Amino acid sequence: MLLTIRKQLKSHPALIPLFFFIGGGAAMSLMYLARLGLRNPDVSWDRKNNPEPWNKLSPNHQYKFFTVNMDYSKLKKDRPDF
Amino acid sequence: MAHPSQLGFQDAASPVMEELLHFHDHTLMIVFLISTLVLYIIVAMVTTKLTNKFILDSQEIEIIWTLLPAMILILIALPSLRILYLMDEINDPHLTIKAMGHQWYWSYEYTDYEDLGFDSYMVPTQDLNPGQFRLLETDHRMVIPVDSPIRVLVSADDVLHSWAVPSLGIKMDAVPGRLNQTAFITSRPGVFYGQCSEICGANHSFMPIVVEAVPLEHFENWSSLMLEDA
Repeated sequence: MLLTIRKQLKSHPALIPLFFFIGGGAAMSLMYLARLGLRNPDVSWDRKNNPEPWNKLSPNHQYKFFTVNMDYSKLKKDRPDF
Repeated sequence: MAHPSQLGFQDAASPVMEELLHFHDHTLMIVFLISTLVLYIIVAMVTTKLTNKFILDSQEIEIIWTLLPAMILILIALPSLRILYLMDEINDPHLTIKAMGHQWYWSYEYTDYEDLGFDSYMVPTQDLNPGQFRLLETDHRMVIPVDSPIRVLVSADDVLHSWAVPSLGIKMDAVPGRLNQTAFITSRPGVFYGQCSEICGANHSFMPIVVEAVPLEHFENWSSLMLEDA
């Protein structure tokens, strides 16, 4: 199947950018789903060893993918520990 | 506040709104360029006497008109996402204010240190003083210290409302039973107007929001005065 695609791509090189951008978009969507499944504190895959991950949140954990102006590790943690 | 027949945004009073303004300029310029190009092509196609019946395909131009729009979209998306994440950062607010929407007025609660709360009704048109703005002035303004990060928790007491101040770049829905958080910092002292932005009944257009940014000493004097009056 890949061989057929390569042959057709050689005679229609205009398809290369298309593959690149559509493939990139698909890859980014899959990466987002994977991040949601693995990093979201609402998700628990192992109910025995990790029963309630939403109770393990720390005040300076960075939940967002990208920070512009903030360094979450430098946030003051001025609240009581339970 | 907005001026009659104003087309663009109001002047920015917070850094986030400045970013939004610049991003809008950048994107609008791209849009104008593309629209001008398309309009020119349309006019050229429609007014020519030449015909061409023999082009079947061309790989080169197809590559160009796939790559170029993709680049333009990336050029738009990257600043947009940066501002999106910037707007979500809450960096150590100095003050937390609760803005509660009611039918048909806002009430503000400053409960960090003392128990300060007051309602903010619109000034009816017949009670306006000369120089005041119709349908925008309120009897009590939400006074905040300038240059300090402020956190606003928005909620509602009855139906949906929305707390919006365009010159600060803020709009946050007030949902009954829910606390929505937004934060801002005013870069200059001044009075900033906004209006309720979610239909909430008969007087939805008559429950404005006025934010007044003053130096810290003035804010402290104001809050002591308000506490005495209460």
